[in-house]
Amino acid sequence: MDFSVVIGGEAGQGAFSVELEATEMLAALGYHFFATKNYMSRVRGGHNFHMIRIADHPVHALSGYPWDMIMALDGETERRHRPNLREGGIYLSREMTREIESEARSAFGSVVASNSVLVGFLLSVIGADSDRVANASGEERRELLKRGRSFAERWNFAGHFAIPPRAGTGCRLDGNQALALGAILGGCQFMAGYPMTPATSIMHHFSMAARSAPVHFEQAEDEISAVNMALGASYAGVRAMVATSGGGFALMQEGVSLAGMTETPIVIVLAQRPGPATGLPTRTEQADLNFVVHAGHGEFARIVFAPGSINEAIRLARDSFDLADRFQIPVFLLTDQYFADSVQVVEEALALEPRFREPPAADAAYRRYRLTEDGISPLAFPGLSDSLVRVDSDEHDEEGKITEDLELRTRMVDKRFGRRDLLRNAAVPPTLFGNGEADTLVLCWGSNRLILQEAVERLGGEGIRLAGLHFGQVYPLTAEMIAPHGLKSRRLVSVENNAGGQFAALLKRELGIEVSESVLKYNGECFTVGELCRSLRRIVTGGDR
Amino acid sequence: MTTARSDIAWCPGCGNFAIRDALEKAIRELPVPRKDIVLTSGIGQAAKMPHYIDVNFFNGLHGRSLPLAVGIKLARPDLTVIAYSGDGCHYGEGGNHFIQTIRRRLDITILVSDNQVYALTKGQTSPTTDPGTVNSLDPEGNRNLPLNPVLLALSMGAPFVARGYAGEKSHLKDLIREAILFRGTSVVDILQPCVSFNRTNTYEWYGDRVYRLRKPRTGLFQAMKTAAVWGDRIPIGVLYRNEEAECRTGKTLYGERITDEDIRNQLGLPCVMMR
Ligand SMILES: Cc1ncc(C[n+]2csc(CCOP(=O)(O)OP(=O)(O)O)c2C)c(N)n1
Ligand code: SF4
Ligand SMILES: [Mg+2]
Repeated sequence: MDFSVVIGGEAGQGAFSVELEATEMLAALGYHFFATKNYMSRVRGGHNFHMIRIADHPVHALSGYPWDMIMALDGETERRHRPNLREGGIYLSREMTREIESEARSAFGSVVASNSVLVGFLLSVIGADSDRVANASGEERRELLKRGRSFAERWNFAGHFAIPPRAGTGCRLDGNQALALGAILGGCQFMAGYPMTPATSIMHHFSMAARSAPVHFEQAEDEISAVNMALGASYAGVRAMVATSGGGFALMQEGVSLAGMTETPIVIVLAQRPGPATGLPTRTEQADLNFVVHAGHGEFARIVFAPGSINEAIRLARDSFDLADRFQIPVFLLTDQYFADSVQVVEEALALEPRFREPPAADAAYRRYRLTEDGISPLAFPGLSDSLVRVDSDEHDEEGKITEDLELRTRMVDKRFGRRDLLRNAAVPPTLFGNGEADTLVLCWGSNRLILQEAVERLGGEGIRLAGLHFGQVYPLTAEMIAPHGLKSRRLVSVENNAGGQFAALLKRELGIEVSESVLKYNGECFTVGELCRSLRRIVTGGDR
Repeated sequence: MTTARSDIAWCPGCGNFAIRDALEKAIRELPVPRKDIVLTSGIGQAAKMPHYIDVNFFNGLHGRSLPLAVGIKLARPDLTVIAYSGDGCHYGEGGNHFIQTIRRRLDITILVSDNQVYALTKGQTSPTTDPGTVNSLDPEGNRNLPLNPVLLALSMGAPFVARGYAGEKSHLKDLIREAILFRGTSVVDILQPCVSFNRTNTYEWYGDRVYRLRKPRTGLFQAMKTAAVWGDRIPIGVLYRNEEAECRTGKTLYGERITDEDIRNQLGLPCVMMR
């Protein structure tokens, strides 16, 4: 049982409130669900739509057309979405939602109350138990939800798409919440940032933590300042991060290079949106992979992660701080608007033990850039011992003083850049799913993981044998990472949200592996399972069956 | 382990030598151990200063000494943080940081070797260069109005604003010490003769013009009036000192642990949709 609803309306009209309240209730009632949104870069007007998928099994992607139910808060919803309503689906027309609004106004004194009434309606359609709904809702919403149920009953929609709640009471997070949580678990205590969609809510969640936890968020005057502030904090001994989108990251590049030169640990979240330039500010894309892999002048080591699930985002965000510390490099978390704005139920248990970095020791002979056997100099922080901590953006000697000793320069480059070899052993392997023996292996990275996973399963049910391989670490790519999967002897297809097939190109450059086909989408929207199935079916069977 | 004068990358006669001596003496007189002092700097001749003083330092990128200082101070309120750079670094490349850092009301000291020129890159126009000055990129003379750093600092609300002169070493030492000890953002613009690239604002030129203020002006408007004085007479000393100004202190972060309760709070937050 699988039910997909779309709620469409103008920005500021309440569709987001309906989504938010609905997902809160669904989580509290123990439903499996997935929710995401498609919104315009405006505060009022236009047309936004919010999509919720509810099922009796775990769901982590949009199923694709047709919709089982449409809730229209504006006239545009009819034109845009009604053609995609399935036969026998529920269409809550603008006239009907108007009726709900006017009743909400007269019964509860405000139109805003109608959001909760709509949620009550939705819960009734999926057959949610009225007592459980009443228990799960707060006092002030109870009557509103009940009113929604009576609308559903009046119009004969109650229990129309009954779905049993099978998730248990789970945790519900969106991608940006997961990143902020992972960062805090990783011991990150400082974040500086400048608002930019779709990264802003990471800053919001971090600054909310700062109300009571020993962490600090500082809004910087620009992204250049943000990254330099974070590097200052990291130098001073506090784990630090920044988050931004492509345009802001363009400004941060000098800081990436500075982190590389000074070997200052930092974690950088780049939540992608379609470019170039301002692009489509509130839509999704995966076109900044090349940018991140090459960002910053000069040569130095880095790691780039691209999490594909909430759990993976929490884990990788948390571990990024350990890795940034251990290798004294910038570590990137490359996500996108789709991932940032999708709300998911977390089925697996989360590891929620916060980490703490023991203060490093330093003695009087301390040298920040001491040349060591393994190429990692000891990290220490100012003011914690009698030794001084000196770092420099110029080429420097072991003490951190400017040098133009060119022999030493070569050794310092070897130390910084040679760290790539150490990163090989720390690489996070890709995740395999589907039929491991299949001739065709579909590759993806970042937020496409769970969309592809479901598509591969669905096609498997049709007898189309496919395997999927998701890269949560996209750089560096090492031979060891792919060794178990026999990439060289299989037909490879890549799935990416960009026009250039950037990951496929990276794979070729780094490992000499060539994909034979690519499924690319770059109109600003995510893939749906149905759409991906169509593309893969065509590739595998040579036609659209 | 002080640096030998010969290892210093400045030209003989450069005003920065005197500033270095003044800064070194001021630091020596502070009730703060060197291990608790951090100098940040950008890039330029002035920005090399940290290499010649025995304290912690982060010599960062051109224009970025201030965001580094802000990050350090917020992360570690226990450290004494001084941002040191030139006029090009603090007022040009980092001009917005200069404005915005003052607004943050942190206990940071901002010191500027103001030689009215981009010295390291061999003499181009800086934000404080006199109009009409000719150089390699302004062969017809600088057409821009100069920026008045002390007036700008005052208008941004800096609670401690001073002007020093490299030719008045012990006066400068006192200014720097007072600025560091002041609780709040303090700005000291230091007039620094550059013997290689600034043929106008020389020791002789300053010698004829500079006079010492006996005490800070009373009130912001008096201070601004004095700050605007530039030409035949150039006042040096503390222009403004506002003891009442509030200073923001960051909370202790270093060594503090995130608790399970912090994590529970985090899990309870509602989702948001933000542009
Ligand atoms: C991003 C960037 N742009 C340009 C430069 C080149 N540059 C180095 S120092 C400098 C100007 C320095 O002027 P100032 O800050 O007044 O220092 P001074 O050398 O006069 O002491 C410039 C333009 C650079 N290092 N980085
Ligand atoms: S060029 Fe000017 S500022 Fe630089 S060291 Fe020489 S005299 Fe000093
Ligand atoms: Mg200068």
